[in-house]
Amino acid sequence: MTPPPILRVSALRKEYRGTRALNELYLDIAEGEIVALMGPSGCGKSTLLRCLTWLEQPDDGFIEVAGRPFGRVLTPGGMVRRLSRREIDALRPKIGLVFQQFNLWPHMTALENVVRPQVVVLGRSRAEATRRAEELLGLLGLADRAGRYPHALSGGQKQRVAIARALAMDPALMLFDEPTSALDPELSGEVLSVLKSLAATGMTMLVVTHEVGFAVNVADRIAFMDAGAIVEEGPARAVVSNPRTPRLRNFLELVLDKSLVSAGNTLAHSQTE
Amino acid sequence: MRFDVSILVDYWSLLAGGAWLTLCITLVAFALGYLAGVAVALVAILPGWLPKLVTGIYIETLRNIPFIIILFVVYYGLPFSGIRLPATLVGTVALALFASAYYAEIVRGALQALPRGQFESARVVGMSPAQAMWYVVAPQVLRTLVPPSTNMTLTMMKESAVLSSITVPELTYQSLIVQGNTFAPFEVFAAVTAIYWLIAIAIAELSRQLERRVGTAQVHSILANPIAARYLSLDARRPT
Repeated sequence: MTPPPILRVSALRKEYRGTRALNELYLDIAEGEIVALMGPSGCGKSTLLRCLTWLEQPDDGFIEVAGRPFGRVLTPGGMVRRLSRREIDALRPKIGLVFQQFNLWPHMTALENVVRPQVVVLGRSRAEATRRAEELLGLLGLADRAGRYPHALSGGQKQRVAIARALAMDPALMLFDEPTSALDPELSGEVLSVLKSLAATGMTMLVVTHEVGFAVNVADRIAFMDAGAIVEEGPARAVVSNPRTPRLRNFLELVLDKSLVSAGNTLAHSQTE
Repeated sequence: MRFDVSILVDYWSLLAGGAWLTLCITLVAFALGYLAGVAVALVAILPGWLPKLVTGIYIETLRNIPFIIILFVVYYGLPFSGIRLPATLVGTVALALFASAYYAEIVRGALQALPRGQFESARVVGMSPAQAMWYVVAPQVLRTLVPPSTNMTLTMMKESAVLSSITVPELTYQSLIVQGNTFAPFEVFAAVTAIYWLIAIAIAELSRQLERRVGTAQVHSILANPIAARYLSLDARRPT
């Protein structure tokens, strides 16, 4: 028997005043797998991540994280039961979300940003939480920035602190919502390399990104989303070099055109291999 | 006519007593009003239309009526429901009611001005709404609350003079009595002016102390702008 996927999304649906943001979306992510989620803006990528963390309540469908139902559950009697707020909060640390806008807490130092949630949510002792936080900040190359407040950090450093904050909760799955799009190319490279080393540790990741180069080189799989559903998915290189749907072909042309210098080279390189 | 402050010597205890009562009324009304204001603001930001409607009616009713009318309604209205309370208590409660509507708006505004991502990032790591409010939202909102709350508290302190019209023996009431006894309005009101001024200064100074204590990392709002951040962050300044 194969182990249950870390993330299983089935028939997820979300409507905003008549427009379908998510339309019967299915997605499975196995342990250790890295999935790049791509798609034109407004296709529902961010909505998906917000539903996966229950920041928005999906109208219908089911989410399972590491085999445990999240948000709502189908009872043996065939009834759908919405989990209580407490039950939802209890599973939330298992799903790390990194925001596009970092959302660090500006009244705490970088270290405290990582320590506080461990103490408050997981009930760790301050000493233990601090040890874990220092270890993570060290791994992400921020050992000397621990005492700084977020306003004294660069964008890339802020994003790395945000990643450390999510990792400190020992998540089973990490979600990234365009983690580099608020950064200039130099700083985004810094964050991408962190993601790359995170991938090497076997972390299960779902990354919303426009960086085709990153998707091809790091992700195992690319899922392409359009109009609230995943319309094409497969091994990263195959999907990019040989898109089947015209929507994806158009999208790739546009994206590659824009980032010809950064991503195009990597792509060309990977195709000749 | 001569300006002769010595007239007041016999009456200083009346004025001091009045000043003390004004101070007490202001403090109690501040505490009650702020508690009510925070409660109303927390209800106002709940999702759905009902909380907004209820708090909207509360706030608009109290804001749109002159304070003296609120005072009369409470003071003369309560006995109709069979409740008789001392004037000082009724006056303090009316003052708290009046201020709570403004405090509620101040708190609600401050809560809504904080980027939603702050609350959401706290919820996403697994904090309960109360924990997110306490650890993440409240410390940031606190410093934006101090200046407007000080304004309102000063206004309220001055508005407490109206309580003299329902026989609360606070500073204005006492000054009217002294003035009636001495026929020296100018001296009396000059003294009262000075006392009110001192109370206001004390409140403003307290607020400055508070602001200093909670006012760290105020620069954040500027640095939320990525361009400003690039030029102002300590890293950018450091020569590479």
